[in-house]
Amino acid sequence: MNEAIRALQAAMERDGYVAEPAVATAVYLATEMRKPLLVEGEAGVGKTELAKVLARVLRTELIRLQCYEGLDANTALYEWNYQRQLLRLRIAEREPHDPAALEDLIFGREYLLERPLLRAITRRAGPPVLLVDEIDRADDGFEAFLLEVLSDFQVTVPELGTIAATHVPHVVLTSNRTREIGDALRRRCLYLYVEHPSFEKELRILRGKVPGLDERLARSITRFVQALRRRDLRKLPGVAETIDWAQALLRLGQDRLDAEVVGVTLGCLLKDEHDLRQTGNAAVDELVVLASSPG
Amino acid sequence: MNVAPGLAAQLAKFAGALREQGIRVGLGDEIDAATALTLVDLLDRGEVQCGLRIALKVPREAWATFDRLFRVHWSGTAVDDVPVPPRTYPRDQRGAQWRWDGARVRLELPEPERPEGDEPGYSPEAMLRRKPFDQLSASDVAAMERLLVRLALRLAARRSRRLVPTRGRGVVDLRHSFRSALRTEGELFRLARRARALEVPRVVLLYDTSGSMDPYSRFHLAFAFALRRVIRRLEIFAFNTALTRVTRAIAPGKISQSLERLTADVPDWSGGTRIGECLAAFVADWGTIVGRDTTVVIVSDGLDLGDTELLGRAMRALRERARTIVWLNPLMGDPRYEPTQAGMRAALPHVDHFGPAHDLESLERLLRFLD
Repeated sequence: MNEAIRALQAAMERDGYVAEPAVATAVYLATEMRKPLLVEGEAGVGKTELAKVLARVLRTELIRLQCYEGLDANTALYEWNYQRQLLRLRIAEREPHDPAALEDLIFGREYLLERPLLRAITRRAGPPVLLVDEIDRADDGFEAFLLEVLSDFQVTVPELGTIAATHVPHVVLTSNRTREIGDALRRRCLYLYVEHPSFEKELRILRGKVPGLDERLARSITRFVQALRRRDLRKLPGVAETIDWAQALLRLGQDRLDAEVVGVTLGCLLKDEHDLRQTGNAAVDELVVLASSPG
Repeated sequence: MNVAPGLAAQLAKFAGALREQGIRVGLGDEIDAATALTLVDLLDRGEVQCGLRIALKVPREAWATFDRLFRVHWSGTAVDDVPVPPRTYPRDQRGAQWRWDGARVRLELPEPERPEGDEPGYSPEAMLRRKPFDQLSASDVAAMERLLVRLALRLAARRSRRLVPTRGRGVVDLRHSFRSALRTEGELFRLARRARALEVPRVVLLYDTSGSMDPYSRFHLAFAFALRRVIRRLEIFAFNTALTRVTRAIAPGKISQSLERLTADVPDWSGGTRIGECLAAFVADWGTIVGRDTTVVIVSDGLDLGDTELLGRAMRALRERARTIVWLNPLMGDPRYEPTQAGMRAALPHVDHFGPAHDLESLERLLRFLD
């Protein structure tokens, strides 16, 4: 393994993110090649967390753009602070000003509200991490616009001129695949697919995130969740759910799994009514037996 | 950051092999991969594999193929050519089934039959909703067609979440307000507003006209007519053993006139089905009309006489282009039905909404899904 990748993996682990070689390699390649990283995978596998930990490892700021249907360029880029401009004009009416100077003033950077994309390319103190979260929720038009920004890293504000990136940010895009991402955008990025963690990895995450959890219980929890994921469910529980559940069991003072406590806390793991009904008492009993048997 | 010439050649060959297996790898991806090879540890096979997968942007579904080809091409031994399954293309088979037998057209309605009403809470409309399409009387049909138009209208009027300028009510748009105030020397007389855009969906309807679908024909056609009246961007295709574009035949107007034109246009009405070939032909000839705003609706029972592997491939190609794929199967109205036919099994992984289409209620459910 490349030394730099190993170092990155270790650094991420120190910051509380258990990264497999594939994840560390992807992050390393994306930072070295200066390309955006598109991360796909089911909900709850730690896609957003990846961007957060990258910002911590690089000791830089995380700028987040949460996508949603109807998100438009104004919300993502910039907006003039109209209220403030109006107030400034009202004040100027009382004390005569040079019109040109006044115009320069109210169309200055001070009156510009920077939204995530503009903030990401104008940050002075080194490149930030720009997280474009759940890009699949934005509509196609926005995707095309984002493609333009990500290829040139410059933005044109009519009143100010073109603003070029002071530093090219590290870009992480995440997608839950509710909609297929356009080919052009996909080609612009490096691509990482994150799967549900293996038993070993999930156990390590659990130890890191839920301190004070009994080792034997941690193993049972992990084995239970891993078995649960093999069942035919609509929404598989993610790592976040495993952590929630472990914390719930810890609060309840449990030191081992039993069918009764699993039954009442199953809502931590399964958040779909259909899935809850599917996983009835018999199934829970079976899973508990499986999870409690060592090895 | 130059990659060794031998390595570059190997990479090019590998990319070619991926393309042959239908994994879309472009030149830009190859360049990314070459750069990645200068960054990873070339002695670590796992890392090379992983790096190539990331830089070539291989989607999750194609990992198995990718890994298999990687083992062959990057094993350090001589590179052998992997046997590639021959690609059958439906073009040469089309037109072969061109025969027309008017006697086999069975679009007439079943015997008239009164609804067995008088139960508490009886409403003709509620009855209609549950009544299977193959058990309807002529008067039911007229009522149903009116209902279908209402449904189609609802389908056509979808509000997007995007805000666009409007003259009516909406949220105040300061940017435009100030810009238009320039015309009146900066005095603000009128506030510009924005409201949610009215989205005109694009729909492609692929309709199975094979013999097994006969009992449902008339009603699905009525649905197509109703859609046609309110959705301007609608394309309709009929398929059985061949694919026919019938958008023009289903012109606004009287159903009976169009029906004549339709039966004249569609070869092998009520014959067998080769869904895979027909869908592949659709992707090849009409694929470009399917865009990111398009909903593809396939109405078929999935009883396929043709190549199911071809069907899977065609469905995957459609999935990559369309916004949503809906498969309506009239057989699903039967509670005992399970999608076990090979054709249905090959198609299902690529379908977003798989539902019944044997009565009006099921079509309404489709509209809810589309909303």
